[in-house]
Amino acid sequence: MHRRVSSLITDGVMVFAMLLGTCAAASAAMSSAAAPAGLAAVRANCSGCHREVSPGHFDRISEERKTPEGWAMTIFRMRHLHGVKLTGKEQATIIQYLSDVQGLAPSETAPARFALERRPNVPDLKLPYHLHEMCGRCHSLARVALQRRTAAEWLKLINFHVGQFPTLEYQEGSRDIHWWKIAATELPGELAKLFPFKSAAWRNWSAHPHPSLAGAWIVHGYTPGRGDYYGTARIRRTARHRYRARYLLHYASGAALDGSSDAIVYTGFEWRGTAKLGGKRVHEVYFASTDGMRITGRWFLTHHSEIGGHWVASRATGAPQIIAAIPSALKTGTTERVVVVGIGLRGSVELGPGTKCKVLERTPYGLILTASVQSNATPGYRTVRIGQVHSRNLLAVYRRVDRLKVEPSLAIARLGGGTLAPVDAQFHVIGYTDVVGAGGKVIPVRLGAVPVTWSLEPFNAEAARRGDVRFAGTLSPEGRFLPAQGGPDPKRQFSADNTGDLFVVASHRDGKTPITGKAHLIVTVQRWINPPIY
Amino acid sequence: MSGMKPINEKAGLLLEAAESGQLEEVSAMETVAGCATTFDPGWEVDPFGGVASLCQPMEADLYGCSDPCWWPAQVPDTMNTYPSWQEGKPSAQHDWRELDPVFPNTNAVFPKK
Repeated sequence: MHRRVSSLITDGVMVFAMLLGTCAAASAAMSSAAAPAGLAAVRANCSGCHREVSPGHFDRISEERKTPEGWAMTIFRMRHLHGVKLTGKEQATIIQYLSDVQGLAPSETAPARFALERRPNVPDLKLPYHLHEMCGRCHSLARVALQRRTAAEWLKLINFHVGQFPTLEYQEGSRDIHWWKIAATELPGELAKLFPFKSAAWRNWSAHPHPSLAGAWIVHGYTPGRGDYYGTARIRRTARHRYRARYLLHYASGAALDGSSDAIVYTGFEWRGTAKLGGKRVHEVYFASTDGMRITGRWFLTHHSEIGGHWVASRATGAPQIIAAIPSALKTGTTERVVVVGIGLRGSVELGPGTKCKVLERTPYGLILTASVQSNATPGYRTVRIGQVHSRNLLAVYRRVDRLKVEPSLAIARLGGGTLAPVDAQFHVIGYTDVVGAGGKVIPVRLGAVPVTWSLEPFNAEAARRGDVRFAGTLSPEGRFLPAQGGPDPKRQFSADNTGDLFVVASHRDGKTPITGKAHLIVTVQRWINPPIY
Repeated sequence: MSGMKPINEKAGLLLEAAESGQLEEVSAMETVAGCATTFDPGWEVDPFGGVASLCQPMEADLYGCSDPCWWPAQVPDTMNTYPSWQEGKPSAQHDWRELDPVFPNTNAVFPKK
């Protein structure tokens, strides 16, 4: 190992010399009583190294744009590697300021929002292959795509990587490719074109009046393992960038999911909340639509970001619309209670051919119906009509469940123990029925979540030989995989860790024949570096 | 086997096993003992998309990963970035529970409660 590292020292010294040179040339911090608090905080804490080359324009800082999480990671690095001392308040002020004046426009964050929302088991962005080789071997490409820099700044970031993480020369396969030539001469320009510092999207969003999010909202969401939830939210503004929300929500089972949230809004649309939801502490990563009529995203447990729920809030004063039907599928020959979540749902209700329904209750978030489906009703999607509004494909009629799809199809769980919490994996199942369409073509009709029982199987012969099912962890009845304890396990061959290569199997019984669906689960080792953007 | 002659101890043991009908009891080591530039097992997933060929137990070689900055996004490197990460924890095999995560402000963007 040491031999390999020593060959990189030359590059490392060169790059560090450049970084130190930047600090040595820095001007004294400027101050202005008239400057906003954020600008003043940057001047007071950053300009010692980052020279203010013109009013409000700081060397390096002002040639980058990032998300709030991106700026938080930068500040972490400045504190950790360069000894910057900041109070919690100063840090918060700087993150707010830089996210507001040098953030990403909504459309610029769209492809990589999954990373901000910490959605587990989402495939990374597809970018040109050599970017996977140059950047994606260590961290996600989403981390790259959530930044905007000038070409000169992208080059400096590459220089920083070489100095800070010198073994990347080996990770890049330097024996086979001219990696440094590519990194230093081709990559900066390419990244500046893909993720440019100046963009029409940012110019337009910066000039766009950012809507207030205060008001009444209708909420519908989905928690894998628990199902649909719905209800209302009331949001009020407590300061320029701050909001407080009160939630009255519950699951279709009736279990309450009430709560409240304190939130900061960055860049005019990036909602970051700390909330209590259903008695649990959660964080919220949502974004507001540019017209301020919708807030969408994901919440997750503060210490288990892999466990959470999807969230859509629609302004209660918006145009009449049907948002969801719960359940989203009705079986022939049955009568069920159906909740239709929506806005301004007035008038008669029709659920389509072969069905009858009656309104039981009108609530602030929609209608509660009782719906009956004839035994000979034709399976397939139905159009739901309520007064003047209608919606296709939100509701289906089925005779039997033909197939199961376990989601996610590939998941990663991590062992835990000591100072690290394990990373669980939550699975859920979507049922489908097949209907024969025009020309005999089989069309899968999505039914939504169906009840299943769960089990584990070895993924292959080697996993069976290693006993992965026995060692790697257990599945809860709700489809949550709980990894085993980390560390060498003397009961395993070579005292291996309790890793595993598994099938997660869901079984649904509808009549005599059980139907099964499978997903692939990798149970792997810990990681000690867990930034907000992987 | 009659035309072959073992030239080291391991080959000798293999020959003995074959002659006594115990060849099936000799199994190749599926896991990787340490990593190398040309035979890198992967941190989370091995080159075959599974975990059987990961370096295991990971703790046996963990400090061989942190010392030279081998997995800079997963394992804190003690070369440059987190020089004191393993201080006071000389044996990863025994002290792995005390190794701290190194990104304390993961939730810096959220309001404090």
